[in-house]
Amino acid sequence: MRDSSSSPSAHPITAHWKKFLVLGLMGLGVSWFFAFQGMLEHHHRPLLSVLVGGLFWVSVLIGLLMLTMITRVFDAGWAPVVRRSWELVLPALPLVLLLSVVPMALLPKFRHLLWDWTDASHLLPNGHEVGHDPILQAKSWFLNENFFLGRIFGYVVILGGLVWALRKWSFAQDTDRTAGHTHRLHAISAVGIPLGAVTLTMLAFDCLMALSYHWFSTMYGVWFFALSIRLALAFTVIITYRLSHGGWLDGIFNQAHRHVLGCLMLAFTVFWAYISFSQYFLIYTANIPEETYWYNIREFDSITGLKNQWWSVSMYLVFGFFLLPFLILLFYRTKIIAGRLLSVAWLIFFGGLVDLWFNAVPRQIADKSGPEGFIVAPFLTPHLFLDLAALLGFGGIVIAVFLRGASRHETIPVHDPRILESINYHE
Amino acid sequence: MNERNERIHGVACTFRRPSDVFHAAERVRDAGWKCWDVHTPFPIHGMDQAMGLPRSPIPRLTLLGGVTGFLTGCLLTWYMNSYDYPLIVGGKPYWSVIFPFPVLYECTILFAAFGTFFGQFIFNRLPHHHHPLFDLPQFSRVSDDTFMIVLEARDANFHLDESRNFLLSLGGQEITVIRD
Repeated sequence: MRDSSSSPSAHPITAHWKKFLVLGLMGLGVSWFFAFQGMLEHHHRPLLSVLVGGLFWVSVLIGLLMLTMITRVFDAGWAPVVRRSWELVLPALPLVLLLSVVPMALLPKFRHLLWDWTDASHLLPNGHEVGHDPILQAKSWFLNENFFLGRIFGYVVILGGLVWALRKWSFAQDTDRTAGHTHRLHAISAVGIPLGAVTLTMLAFDCLMALSYHWFSTMYGVWFFALSIRLALAFTVIITYRLSHGGWLDGIFNQAHRHVLGCLMLAFTVFWAYISFSQYFLIYTANIPEETYWYNIREFDSITGLKNQWWSVSMYLVFGFFLLPFLILLFYRTKIIAGRLLSVAWLIFFGGLVDLWFNAVPRQIADKSGPEGFIVAPFLTPHLFLDLAALLGFGGIVIAVFLRGASRHETIPVHDPRILESINYHE
Repeated sequence: MNERNERIHGVACTFRRPSDVFHAAERVRDAGWKCWDVHTPFPIHGMDQAMGLPRSPIPRLTLLGGVTGFLTGCLLTWYMNSYDYPLIVGGKPYWSVIFPFPVLYECTILFAAFGTFFGQFIFNRLPHHHHPLFDLPQFSRVSDDTFMIVLEARDANFHLDESRNFLLSLGGQEITVIRD
């Protein structure tokens, strides 16, 4: 393990990590500043920007963590050259959690603003206060602040621990050339996959589903998993495109690797659609008000009863986040031509953001002017720029962690038993 | 010449190493052969390109099957629920794209699978109960330790003596004429 970023064999592009760190800190400064201002005015939307920006990258990184463990468990021969880049970026996962969800949950004023259910005096559309809400009382064994804070702490520890373990023995193999580390990482991943699955499910429940705590969906964890893997694959395609054009994967990352990533992108595009539609379909078929309201506020204006902006957003999810990537990815040539695959990856990257907006932003705000006692803020607001700032902020941190890691470790696992199979991987 | 060729399926030639058969295949491809094949005990990476094989046309039949299945599902659910016997179930519309979606995608998958399965039957010319190569004693060894190139008589390039010499020039070991 080299300990200096000025190491002669560090790739020149890793030197840019400081620029990304500055970009990241600027983005975080702007978004947290406005979140603080919003808190003073008792306005939750700026804080949602930090949540959306943070969870977007948490989602990418959880997807990469799961992919790392899945390729370990299945002994994927193609994976080692790509997996090292995942291992280099993974320490950003606990870091992004510590910079977004953790302070929001820890500081009571932010917590009360973002998660209605933690604020006993918060007014509900039916005129009651959260403190007297029988629905919350029935769920209080799960939704109580101590358990909630414990869970948030648990997510950081479990995910951080998995990242630590997966990196430790993988990097150890670079120097001591022990094949036994591969077996050890196989075993860690076999335990880590169910552990990670439960953790990401609970994280999706706490950070997204609990934003509308009356609503519940048992598909929510699977939806978050599908979204995470899609975003992780899109992220992988984007960074490997850059790294194979003048980066450390130049001449190593080949058409067959691209084909594998393209096939996985197609598979998880279908899987995401299957899960998202199933959630909608079950709620639509059962037609129970406590479930349907979640979709109703995303379709109808509560005052006029006409379609609102969120309906257009949901149509974008159907056609722009599923149908278009699905149809493009069906074609073999999309999966092998680098530029085309990159375009689809950006399409999926943007679609994932839209999906997070759709899930996190709309909420019922108690207001007497609405016939049902609430209003819903439209999609198009100036806060979208704050979302962008948060997105770039956390993204800058993630890329800075990645490049700094790449300057200190081998950029491909040179003594992985499958490294030759991976480099010579063939369709 | 034609009378002599009528009863000949082609010429087979064995090779001892994967690299020999690989480079021989490249030269057969470059000589412009269309009706020929390579038989190996295991897949050899890059052989598709060495043989100049295009992508399989079967995915097109899969897509065609999938689209047909989706439309069949639409027709089925619309005809049953909305046209032949209009029935309100759970307050849902007679027909929309949402409630019968499981039927639509199951039909899509089923017909896409039909397209793929019967497509490969058609392109592989199955069922095919016998093949002249099966009469060749050496042919059983291509599932063990031998590699084989077969040039078929129906190719425009085929000429028994020239083809035999061509295969010898590629480094072939044992040349056999296959009769129908």
